[in-house]
Amino acid sequence: MTADHFILAGRKIVKGKASGQAIVTREAISFNGGVDNMTGIVTEPGHELEGQNISGKVLVFSTGKGSTGGSYKIYDMVSRGTAPVAFIQTTPEAITTIGAIIGNIPVVSGFEQDPTLAILNDDFIELDADAGTVSITRTQ
Amino acid sequence: MFLTDEETGMLNGDQGDAVKKAMEILVALGESFGAKRLVPINNVHMAGSSVLVAEEAGTRFVEDIRTQGGTFVTNVTTNPTAVDPTQWKKIGIPESDSVLQTRLTDAYAGMGANTCNTCIPYLVGNTPRFGEHMVWGESSAVVYANSVCGARTNREGGPSGLASALTGRTPEYGFHLTENRYGKFLIKVETPLNDMTDYGTLGCFAGKIAGQDTPVFTGLPASPTLEQVKALSAALASSGAVSMFHAVGVTPEAPTLEAAFGRKEPEQVFVFDLAEKQKVEAFLNKEATDHVDWIQIGCPNASVQEIREVAQALEGKKIHRDITLWVTTAGAMYAMAERMGYIKTIEDAGGVIVRETCPFLARSRVIAPNKGFKTLTTNSAKMAFYAPGQFGLPTHYGNLDRVMQAALDGVWR
Repeated sequence: MTADHFILAGRKIVKGKASGQAIVTREAISFNGGVDNMTGIVTEPGHELEGQNISGKVLVFSTGKGSTGGSYKIYDMVSRGTAPVAFIQTTPEAITTIGAIIGNIPVVSGFEQDPTLAILNDDFIELDADAGTVSITRTQ
Repeated sequence: MFLTDEETGMLNGDQGDAVKKAMEILVALGESFGAKRLVPINNVHMAGSSVLVAEEAGTRFVEDIRTQGGTFVTNVTTNPTAVDPTQWKKIGIPESDSVLQTRLTDAYAGMGANTCNTCIPYLVGNTPRFGEHMVWGESSAVVYANSVCGARTNREGGPSGLASALTGRTPEYGFHLTENRYGKFLIKVETPLNDMTDYGTLGCFAGKIAGQDTPVFTGLPASPTLEQVKALSAALASSGAVSMFHAVGVTPEAPTLEAAFGRKEPEQVFVFDLAEKQKVEAFLNKEATDHVDWIQIGCPNASVQEIREVAQALEGKKIHRDITLWVTTAGAMYAMAERMGYIKTIEDAGGVIVRETCPFLARSRVIAPNKGFKTLTTNSAKMAFYAPGQFGLPTHYGNLDRVMQAALDGVWR
């Protein structure tokens, strides 16, 4: 079994370090209205991740969207253990940033490439938001 | 980010722990968006007012801020909660939410908020000025305030609203800056918009395209009603992450196409014609059967005019016995509607007027099975967009006449 290893360089949106398996979507995510905070399951009908669980994952998505209630929902998910461990976003957005700040979820964005294309589902991610780096290990 | 001496002192704890925590949030937020400095604000509309959103964790967060001496230094209005205190049990809201919501509402009130608990602050006394820097949550109200009033706010979550209310500051990024307020893409409206539902349909169409970008509409009638732009704002904000729109000749920062785009070319041009309108209507109208049980009017909260139209449809009639009709509104609207006799007409017909909450911000995942609801029927694009994902009910979507007919008939036609 071989492993590919590469690093994406972006900028810190919210500080911290985290690691875990990637779950990737090209779409935006609404944390109030599109995700069940009790379980971590994406509920938005027709969403690329509908029915999938983002708990404990490194969530790679285009940006946040929808209800401004999403920030406290993220905080609630952290408190009940259903939150992703980190956000990697193509574009930063206020509701997900604010939720990540009070929930202590590290967030990196501002990459040269689109992270939702560069990263694949189940890639192992080690993220250092303060350094702005996302280290990806992909086993073939 | 540059901080004044006073702001540095606030961050260091000179004004206590609550203000210190608030400044930490604002500095982190500002730095994440590259803000150069903070700007003073005196107007906060607080998202995160509902325990559906805050839950126990968020409620404790707000209570802790209050215990640490938190006091609001700005005007603050609040968004809907999870509970109508006058009738929560009757309408299927769980008691645990009533208990938790009382704590959260008390915490906001105790720090100085006007707990109006509505998503239409601009209709109940919080009227933004043109150019006013503000901190508003409630995605539908953000779009309304920026677009229709020409005020300046970003999409603010509950915690950032709280931080701004405690400090009177917000980071100067996003929609506080003129250069970020221009349109990015053009939507030519080439089909009639007959009522607020059609405006909501347009908003859903535009929001799905927009992402965070600002749409510019041409072809809108010269004088849409308040209710129509309210519906457009709400739908835009739900299906995308839009903070504002321009409607040429209608909204204050778009006297001309050139002004709306900042003299740049639109990045893309789309047409909203009858075919596109029907596609969106089909998207929002997923329920295949004609089964109707829960009907909701008032997303965003109903104005007095909307309540009047519901009353007119029900005058001298009875809602079908299998139907539960919620008209969701603000206390201030209710008070006027009651004086005009509309509340009595709706209640005599069997309808329920709900204040301070709505299906989106109450725990509808519990209410719906409690009451045996299997579908949601509404004239609101925002509500139709969210209902299936937020609380698992497929939707019937149509204009008020069609929805009220369903209320009387008991089936969807």
